[in-house]
Amino acid sequence: MSAIPRMTGRVLRSGLPGLVALLLGIVLFEFVQPLVIASFGGAQGLDMIMERIPPALQAFTRTRPEFLALSGLAGYLSLGFTHPLYIVLAGAAVIGFAARSLAGEMDRGIIQIPLSRPISRRAVYTSRVLGVGVICALLAIAGPLGMVAGMLYARPSGEFAYGHLGAVALNGLVLFWAIGGLSLWGSAAASTAGRVVAWAISLLVVSYFVDYFAGIWSPLESIQFLSLFDYYDPTQALVSGQASTSDVITLTIVGVVAALAGLMVFTRRDLPA
Amino acid sequence: MSSDAPAISTTNLTKRYGAVTALDGIDLVVPGGVTYGFLGPNGAGKTTTIRLLMGFVRPTSGAARIWGHDCWHDGVRARADLGFLVPADALYPDMTGYALLDYMAALSRKPPVLRPRLLEALELGQDALNRRLNTYSKGMKQKLALTAAIQTNPALLVLDEPTDGLDPLIQRSFESMLSDLRGSGSTIFMSSHDLAEVERTCERVAIISDGRIVAEETIDDLKRLHHRVAEVIFAGEPPAGLDRLAGIDVTGRDGNRVVLSLEGSVMPLLRFLADRDDVVDLLLSPPRLEDIFLGYYDTSANGLGKSQAIPVTAAIPKESIPR
Repeated sequence: MSAIPRMTGRVLRSGLPGLVALLLGIVLFEFVQPLVIASFGGAQGLDMIMERIPPALQAFTRTRPEFLALSGLAGYLSLGFTHPLYIVLAGAAVIGFAARSLAGEMDRGIIQIPLSRPISRRAVYTSRVLGVGVICALLAIAGPLGMVAGMLYARPSGEFAYGHLGAVALNGLVLFWAIGGLSLWGSAAASTAGRVVAWAISLLVVSYFVDYFAGIWSPLESIQFLSLFDYYDPTQALVSGQASTSDVITLTIVGVVAALAGLMVFTRRDLPA
Repeated sequence: MSSDAPAISTTNLTKRYGAVTALDGIDLVVPGGVTYGFLGPNGAGKTTTIRLLMGFVRPTSGAARIWGHDCWHDGVRARADLGFLVPADALYPDMTGYALLDYMAALSRKPPVLRPRLLEALELGQDALNRRLNTYSKGMKQKLALTAAIQTNPALLVLDEPTDGLDPLIQRSFESMLSDLRGSGSTIFMSSHDLAEVERTCERVAIISDGRIVAEETIDDLKRLHHRVAEVIFAGEPPAGLDRLAGIDVTGRDGNRVVLSLEGSVMPLLRFLADRDDVVDLLLSPPRLEDIFLGYYDTSANGLGKSQAIPVTAAIPKESIPR
């Protein structure tokens, strides 16, 4: 086995219990969504409830009652992929890995293990990028898998195309990749994992709320395009079965550019004492 | 590896952290096949030099080379056949001892040919190696880190405080192992606070103070160039004229006992004493590396370090560098 996948395997294994816990949390959260909808009487029961929800809370769902009425069960189920808890669980996994595997290892001196061997900094960094990619893929499929299990278990009334979950997974994958790329950039520049986590979570929260408030406060609309969540639309993906190509490309580019910026920083910086 | 290049060489190597100069233009040549001690008090620049050699930090100016390869720009080739002692507290705590050794050997891309011998010499047993590192004591982690550094029989070993945390018996066993490695042609570059260990292990030393090399010699030459202490006990009143002898200073008198500081040859003193019949005893202590080291540190701290410094380039015979 070459050095890069070996190093990726090592850093993934060192945080495995936490990663498994977060993935199980996501699976469980999405498993519960069909059960909740079934308990409200399916999509029709929820239509009546949604009409009574004030605009601020409607914005929180990142969709409108009339759209949900038209989109049916898929529209309601997609709320499980825009819920803050889902974002927090997925964000924690990808940000935690990026922070731990570079800044955390620099802080603890563990990064000296590969860097004292005939291994380049580029190879060490690439192994972490690969790790982010693996985690993003796992996060992207964990939610849809949980939802499929929940659907098979609860069988709520309404039409649902299981194949559309692929588009949700793709949209999730590129969102997590963008978050991961930005976190790796921060991790390459920082010297402690704590600082990276604080920075990345702040970015995520601001990004989430810019997108959220832009729906109810027009002055924010002009900067909505700066939010990562402006390019994340699992509702549309689950209803139509297609993720927006421009959204996928934008988030992919953000992740790639951020990861490359991190590479530039990491290959030029001094390791902390 | 470039066969005609020294194992380690630095040229005007300088490292500054903002206004702080950690390393101030050091020139160092470590020929292949020697065991080389790198001495200095805390904060003198030892660790910074080692970090520059490993490519962990970038020089502000100058260059560090291993076997002729620049440590920053060509780090992969510089570290191609190098063993580095990773600090004991910088190992993956969730790995077992065996897993860590396998991992580090795999990253070195060389088989761990010396592992069984090292495990035996350092008394690391199967039970310990099957346990996770978060159950290890500091000494056990140090043994494991040493095994990981040396197991592939690298051409160059860079060891920062190698016996820190080891008990005296294991220390001696490790020194014997180093001696064997040197015998097989390996180059060993080590820093240590244990000067007696350096004296037992190394052939050459460099002393660094305030980011500058203040001495670079073989240990034998260093001793020959420096003061030794002699104590002479006479039957009666000590004679006059001792302090007029070449290279001798009287540093203390206590009744019929005189303490002398000797520089250079001991012959003038022996001739002086041979002509007398009132000499009861002569105690001549060999110069210790510790005294030499402390001497450099004291003079350096007093701003005298530069005037005492031995030019490094002049101190290294060119013929000692293998071609």
